[in-house]
Parts: sequence; structure tokens; C-alpha cells
Amino acid sequence: MAVSTTLTAPSAQPVSSNSPQITATELDASCRWPLLALFGSAVLWLFLGVVLGFINTMKFHVPGFLAECPCFTYGRVHAAQSSALLYGFGLQASLGIGLWLLCRLGKAKLVGAVTILIGTLFWNAAVTLGVCCILGGEASGYDNLQMPGYMGPVLLWSYLMIAVCGILTYHRREERESYPSQWFVIAGLFWFAWIFSVASMVLFCPPTARGVVQASVAWWYSHNLTNIVLGFSGLASIFYFIPKILGRPLHSSYLAGLAFWTLALFGSWGGIPMGAPMPSWIPAMAALGTIFTIIPLIAVAINFCHTTCGQLKSLDKDVTLQFSYIALLFWFISSAQQIVSAFPAVGALTTFTWFTVAQKNLFLFGFFTMASFGAMYYILPRLLVIEPCPKLAKANFWLMLLGVLISYLGLGVGGANQGILLMDPANKFTDVMRATMMPVRVSSLGDLMIIGGILCFLLNFFGMFARRCCACCKAKKEACK
Amino acid sequence: MLCLLQGEEGGLQVKYGPFLFLGLLCCMAASSLTFVLAPQMQIGGLEQTNSVADLPVMYPSQPAGVTHQGAEVYRANNCAACHTLQIRPRNLGPDLQRGLGFRYSVARDYIFDKPVMLGLQRVGPDLSNVGARMNPSTILLHLYNPRATVDHSIMPPYPFLFEKRKIGRVASPDALVLPATLPPLEKGYEIVPRKEALSLAYYLTSLRQSSYLFEAPPPQKAKPVATTDTNAPAATTNSPAK
Repeated sequence: MAVSTTLTAPSAQPVSSNSPQITATELDASCRWPLLALFGSAVLWLFLGVVLGFINTMKFHVPGFLAECPCFTYGRVHAAQSSALLYGFGLQASLGIGLWLLCRLGKAKLVGAVTILIGTLFWNAAVTLGVCCILGGEASGYDNLQMPGYMGPVLLWSYLMIAVCGILTYHRREERESYPSQWFVIAGLFWFAWIFSVASMVLFCPPTARGVVQASVAWWYSHNLTNIVLGFSGLASIFYFIPKILGRPLHSSYLAGLAFWTLALFGSWGGIPMGAPMPSWIPAMAALGTIFTIIPLIAVAINFCHTTCGQLKSLDKDVTLQFSYIALLFWFISSAQQIVSAFPAVGALTTFTWFTVAQKNLFLFGFFTMASFGAMYYILPRLLVIEPCPKLAKANFWLMLLGVLISYLGLGVGGANQGILLMDPANKFTDVMRATMMPVRVSSLGDLMIIGGILCFLLNFFGMFARRCCACCKAKKEACK
Repeated sequence: MLCLLQGEEGGLQVKYGPFLFLGLLCCMAASSLTFVLAPQMQIGGLEQTNSVADLPVMYPSQPAGVTHQGAEVYRANNCAACHTLQIRPRNLGPDLQRGLGFRYSVARDYIFDKPVMLGLQRVGPDLSNVGARMNPSTILLHLYNPRATVDHSIMPPYPFLFEKRKIGRVASPDALVLPATLPPLEKGYEIVPRKEALSLAYYLTSLRQSSYLFEAPPPQKAKPVATTDTNAPAATTNSPAK
């Protein structure tokens, strides 16, 4: 790689040399309240999402658990959980991290803090209403787009309120050269607005699409929402924090660019299961796109191998670094699994089994949630000007890591076993499902640990917030005296 | 595109926001043309077709009102979280070998579905042809208590779709006949399916992708029994076989 690495890692010093009046503290102060609102509600939604997930896991131990109440049937809770995790937590966390990165890297103060606060308020109101509607039986029936169609305009409008402020912040940047993280963030902002409006138009605005076109659109949307929108956000924070905390420049911004553009091009094709009842070129294109994501995978791998080589010793120094490393690792595993499953020989075995669920959970909890936690452990102390409790942070890290691993291995092994057993028509379906129940039940132990980890983060976050409020009150009282 | 974005110092930089925007627009356009517009142009206008030559029997048939209500119950409870509604071709999965269907599913099977709930995971079996496997009373009993019909089923029960009530002068004709394996009810009581349960059972019994189509021809060595069964007029498939 002969490319010179001119882009320095984002420096930790007071931000700018050519505009000395703006300091990092001022930048952080400009985005304090909007980001606290976004992160606070995101973490609460995350907790609610995993608790809902645990209710569903319990049904694999006791099928009759909460069966009397229509709101808590497996399907409704499943839909509510995915909405809480993706819209409540995922998008809000990605917006928060994205806005902060745009401020920091562009050396510009956040534009439109009040607009963002109002947008956040409406977004949370819409997601709350949407999740309640789902539990009440109003789910739309489309995977990962389960909130009823009439919530669409509110969601889109409040998202745009926040996203436009992000784009304006980027536009007003002092530092004209863009760092890879900024591309990822900007791409994510555009991407969600685009896919959400297309999917809502096609699926909910009459005349709606007919037949399996709906399925194609819904799967395309769902794949783009997780792999591109959330994926880009996670990668943005990894691309920023790992070089920054190590104090080394990113190995090659060419490779980062290659990864970015190939991921944008090929990563957005996918999500259609093999053998879906539609013209076979559609699943084939999806599989092809997924297989081509091997290019960004390799590009990111080379880039980070060179960036971090010999620096693994410093792993236990910083909690953000730990989270970011593990998130990157899980991104590799999850993406590699997705690529392998796109080959027909493997796909025939794994489609419709727990194996794909394991991959999706790894992406969401192992990669995205870990990367977001890492970013928040860096950003929150700067917003609140108070340090997090290191013990809780450590507990958070280990519980999350072990929980994700146990859950992933349980579902992965169970899913592979399920696929192999189902290939033999002599095995009865119920027998196969019973055989896969044990690993699935083991995975609920992992889910419990993930809940514990998230609870640690929640306590840490609100503890920091409370301590900050107390400190402010004291300062005010003393000032009055 | 890469050389466009090459900065002065050799690094890959996006100095100009518009390049980033244009590049992204191309990527977004490529993926949405492939998975939204192209499918719509090819299969968005699919219509019913003659399944049996020279007979005015169209497939798929227009769903009856009660079937539609049942589909709404299916959607509201998100049954698609555990059940798929799609049979894969022989080379892409063992669905046909397992006897889940008569043929693989094709786009035309779903033209009246709103929303189309193909499902992505099989915690329970595929339901594309459940109407050919189960009758309404079995389905109702299965919904009330899955383990009454299938040993060791892991499906949760749906008691809220049923009503336990005192038997009036005459027992309800719809009341469930509970098998001896279940604990007996108190004397003078019966379990009667609510409207939602009945319409869901109607919907499920209507699920039968049995008509062979041009795009989904019968297998090479079709069994004669299967052929006569599956050539039955599609119009009858909406009414549950009682």
C-alpha cells in the first residue's frame, strides 16, 4: 500500500489551529442537550427492547408464559421488540453519535439544537405510540417496518428535523477535508430518509404495491436499515475512536474509501431469502451483492490490521477502545456469516433457521450496540463533564461480551443443527424443533447477561446525570450565598 | 469515482460535499431500482390465470370476506414471526421433499395478499398448504392448546381467542371437543371460539397452493392421486372442508 497516510487521526487537542476561538469544550457544549436527549431515550428504548426480547425467550421455556394477554403474544412482542431496538435505540443512538462526530470532525458547532430537541421529542412520541399500536394488534406485517403506516409521516418528519441539522453542521464545517467517519455519517442520514420514504410510499400509500413486490420492498428496506444505516453508524464510530485513542493515524484513507463505496453499492443489495416466491433474479441479485461485500470486509480488515498492529497491549486501558475493538470483531464475524450464507449450498441449509437470527443478533448487539456503547463512553463524560463509574463500565463490557457470545453460540449451533436435521425428510419437524430447543434455551442465559450489561450502562448514564445535576445545584446554591 | 475523490495530498478525501452526495445518490438509485422498481415492473401487474385449460376457473381466487378477516388476525398477532408462507424450489431447500407443498410457491400465489407475510423464520412449520393438512376443528383446537393436537409442540396457546362460558339450553355447535389428554373442564362449561379464532381458522384452511401454473408446473413424476386432488377447482379452496 504505497498510499501516504496524510489524514491524521482525529486529534485530541483543542480542535482547530486555524480557528483558535472554537475549542472542543465549546463544541461539546453546543451539542449537550440534544445529544443527552437522544442518548437518554436511546438507552431506555434499548433496555425496553431487550426486556421484551426476554419475555419472548421465556416462551421457549414455558410456552404458556403470559399467554392469556393478547398484548404479550410471541408475534406482537417480537414486532414491538424489533421496533424498540431499531427505531427507539438504533436510529437515535446513530443520530446522536453522528451529530457529535460531525461537530468534532468538522470543527463546527451543532446547528439547530432546539430543532433537534423537538425532533427527538416527536420521534420518541411516534415510536412510543407505534410500539403501543403493535402490542394492541396494529402491526403492519412487514418485517422491521412493523409500526403502522400512519406513523410514517411523523417518523419521517421528525427524523428529517434532526438529519437536516446534521447536514447543515457538516456544511458549515471549518475543516474542509472530510474524514471517513463523516462520509459514513452523512451517508447514513441520507440513506434512512430515502429508504424509509420509498418503503412507506410503496407499502402504505395507495395504490400500494401488489403481491410479492411488497415482500421485496420490505426485505430491501429491512436489510438497508440494519446493514447500511446502523452499519454505517457503527463503522463511523469505530473509524473515529480506534485511531484516535491509539493516537495513530488511520493506515489508509484509500482503503477506507474503497470500503465505504463498495459497502454503499453492494451492502445495500440483499435481505431476500433464497428461493423466495419471486422471479429468481431478485434473490440472486441479493445474494450476489452480499457476496461482493467481501471487498469492504477485506478492505476494513487490512486497514485496521495496519492501524492497530502492535497496539493490542493498550486494549485494557480504555473502555471505548475495548468496546470498539470487540464491535469491529463482531462486525467481521457477522458479515462473514452473511456472505457465507449467501451461497446456495449453505443458504439451502440455513434459510429460515435460528442461524440467520444468530447473525442478525450478533450484528445488532455484538456490533452496533457495542460500538455505540464505546462511543457513548467517550462522548457522555465530555457532555456532562463528569467521569463514568469505571467498575460499572467494566461490568457492562464483560456482561455484554459474554452475553453476546453465549447467545450467538447458542442460536448459531442450534440453527446449524436445525438446518442439517431438516435436510433429511425422515426427521419430523416437531422432533427437530425439540432437538434445537436446548441451544435456544441456553441462549436465553446470554440474553439475561446482555440485559445485565445494559442495566449497568443505564445506571452509569443516569448516575452521571444525577451527579452532574447535584453538582450544578450545589454550585448555584453557593453562588446565591 | 475513486480518482474523482482523490485529494491533493494523496489521501482519499471528499473535499466537496456534492461528490459524496452524487455518489450516494447513484448507490441508492442502483439498489432501489433493483429491488423496488424492477420487481414492480415485472410482477407488479400479475393477474389471475386459468389453472385448468378451457375452464373458467381462475387462480388464485378472490379471497372471501371472512378469509380477509382471518388474515388480519394473522397479521395482528404477527404469526409470521414463527411461520413462513413460502415453499422453496427443490434445489434451494428440502421443503418439497418434506411434503410441505405440492409445488414451489410463485409470485402469482400472493396477488391478493395485503400485506404479504412470507416470513423469515420457521420456529413452526410452513403454512402455505396448511389448508390441505388440517381441518378447521383441528386448527381451532391447536390454537386453544397446541399440545392437544401435536405432541411436544412448542407453540404458545392462544386462550384469548376463545371464551369459556356456561352451557345454555343447548351446547354451542362451535364448542371445542377437548381430547381426553387435556384436563377436563368444569361441568356445565364449554370452550367456544370467538369471531377472531373462527376467521383465523377460515383463513388458514384457505391456504392451499395447489393449482399448477405455467410458472409452477407439476413435478415430472406426478402421483396420480396428487394430480386429481390438485386439479380441483380453485374456487372451492376458500371454503373450509368440513
